[in-house]
Amino acid sequence: MTVPPDPQLPDDYHRQLDLIAEMSHAFANSRDLDQTLHQGLARVAAFVDAEAASLFLIDEKTGELVCRACVGPVDITGLRLAPGTGVVGKVVEKNQAMFVKEAGRDPHFGALVDAKTGFSTRSILCAPLSVRSERLGAIELLNKAGGQLFHSSDRQLLRTLGVSAALAISNARLTRGLVEQERLRREVELAAEIQRGMLPSHRPKDCPVAGINRPAYAVSGDFFDILPLSDERVAFAVGDVSGKGINASLLMAKTISLFHCLAKAHRRPGALLAAINAELCETAGAGGTFVTMVAGFLDRRSGTILLANAGHEPPLLHQGLTFTSFDADTPPLGIAVDLVPQNMPETWLALGGGCLYLFTDGLTESSCDGVMLGSQGVERMINSVAALDLDHRLTAIIEALTKGAAVLRDDLTLMAVEDFRPKPLFASRFKASPEGLCELRQRVEAAAGAAGCSAESAAEVVLAVDEAVQNILRHAYHGEGDVYLEIRVVAEEGLEIQLIDFAAPVDVSQIGPRPIDKLRPGGLGTHFIRTIMDQVCFLPAPEGAGNLLRMTKALS
Amino acid sequence: MSMTFAIVADAQATIIAVTGEIDLGNSSELRREVLGKLAEGRAVAVDLAGVAYIDSSGVAALVEAYQASRQRHLGFYLQNVSVAAMRVLKLARLDQVFDIRTRPSGEQT
Repeated sequence: MTVPPDPQLPDDYHRQLDLIAEMSHAFANSRDLDQTLHQGLARVAAFVDAEAASLFLIDEKTGELVCRACVGPVDITGLRLAPGTGVVGKVVEKNQAMFVKEAGRDPHFGALVDAKTGFSTRSILCAPLSVRSERLGAIELLNKAGGQLFHSSDRQLLRTLGVSAALAISNARLTRGLVEQERLRREVELAAEIQRGMLPSHRPKDCPVAGINRPAYAVSGDFFDILPLSDERVAFAVGDVSGKGINASLLMAKTISLFHCLAKAHRRPGALLAAINAELCETAGAGGTFVTMVAGFLDRRSGTILLANAGHEPPLLHQGLTFTSFDADTPPLGIAVDLVPQNMPETWLALGGGCLYLFTDGLTESSCDGVMLGSQGVERMINSVAALDLDHRLTAIIEALTKGAAVLRDDLTLMAVEDFRPKPLFASRFKASPEGLCELRQRVEAAAGAAGCSAESAAEVVLAVDEAVQNILRHAYHGEGDVYLEIRVVAEEGLEIQLIDFAAPVDVSQIGPRPIDKLRPGGLGTHFIRTIMDQVCFLPAPEGAGNLLRMTKALS
Repeated sequence: MSMTFAIVADAQATIIAVTGEIDLGNSSELRREVLGKLAEGRAVAVDLAGVAYIDSSGVAALVEAYQASRQRHLGFYLQNVSVAAMRVLKLARLDQVFDIRTRPSGEQT
């Protein structure tokens, strides 16, 4: 239905209102802003009878004024003016509309454009484009037809249209920003999903290694990996990439892929870290990023681990009431090839019924009840969950640290490597020497007694262990050296005793018993061992050790 | 627990009474002592009453003394062998080889 014009108001006024309404509608619904701006400009120019019109927007990067739309005899779309140049520049600067009656006499008028285009500017009406406090540009009309001057009603109209055009431009920019943000959010989400897929999602069946990762943001710079190998070994690693966000997560993705691939080809963690370091250094990305990382191989049969630490938070071995930490052997990975040599130092350790914890600094630096946890706090926390099983220990620690915290300050990663064999009665690494045998015998006797051996068979077990250690001193070390001894009760076999030395592998056939009737000294010890124990055998020694002797005796 | 000797000589033999634990760390002292007395032409008795532990190196020292005494046609015997020492001698099946007496020489019935 048509609303009749208000008879009190002049015709022009109605026409202006119609144009404003029409243009506001067009701007509000515009899908192609450039086209709408151009059409709007043409409509206004026609309405006020201007020979030419142009719309300039500020280039956000350079601050220059760029002509984005124009109507008239000369097309100046794309023309750039330095900030503050000409009438347009002044209008933007003062955020006020301007009339210029005679362009040639106005100090602000720059004749440069006319000179370039051949257009002859006489009068100008220019209004700013601004939204809230943000200046976007200006819109100008040139040379009202018939040599007339622009009216104040023309200025009114131009200012009003300027406001709706500015709103439309601002909205378009906001929308573009939102679309870009949404695109980035989806990309980060995708990256996070891919990254989650790189971390082990659950503990492999019966695997004594478990890990957990809580990223502070969508993507994590922390990582862990668990790789059960074919020969009862498990490769594992925990790492932390310097920095956070997408950069860190990409380097993390690269490092974990290298570990996953190279762990199958290396038997020692030192050589493995050296190989990863060489790869990272060869294709170094953004400067200054590096990776701290601990890698290890667990030998499940002996419960022993060979560990290498490149600049990472020291892992903690928890055995009963004691904690042992293993400091970094080299600087972090990804800095320089020669910092992590092939033969980098490694640490050999025996779980001995204990558990090795590996973590990132997100754990030590997280706060519990407002206080930074620190390494002692980590020990307290491990003690407090010691009664739980492997998986629940990890989740309990992470829950305790993240409860109440809406946002994590850093990524949290925690891993535990456990000894799944029965708890030993005795487990110790010591420097064996002829002089130290007496003390060792007392401890073995106590362990055998605790296992339920009679006094007589405990005395025999003591003799067998004593003789076995003597054989190591005599045949493997030709003197004294480190021995790791473990005694445990195993349901099927009774008492199991394991002795590991770190000497060169020995030719076992050379230390067999001699016929007892020959009555020659020597060889008697081996005879004792074989007589006392039910089973005596050398097993393949774990990586990093020399020989592994396993002896068993049934418990009557 | 370390090992100590007490040496008593009578007309027939030198008696070396050992107390403590005989192991790799000290069996060479026992060996030197016994072989030394045999070299002097004395019969030797080793009293094992106070021995709480003896390992293969201790047994080897006794075996070596036994062999030396036969070469020199000298007497060599063990006396008052403790339960712990006897268990090891039996394991080595040497309980039938050594001359084992329960009392000092001359008092044997």
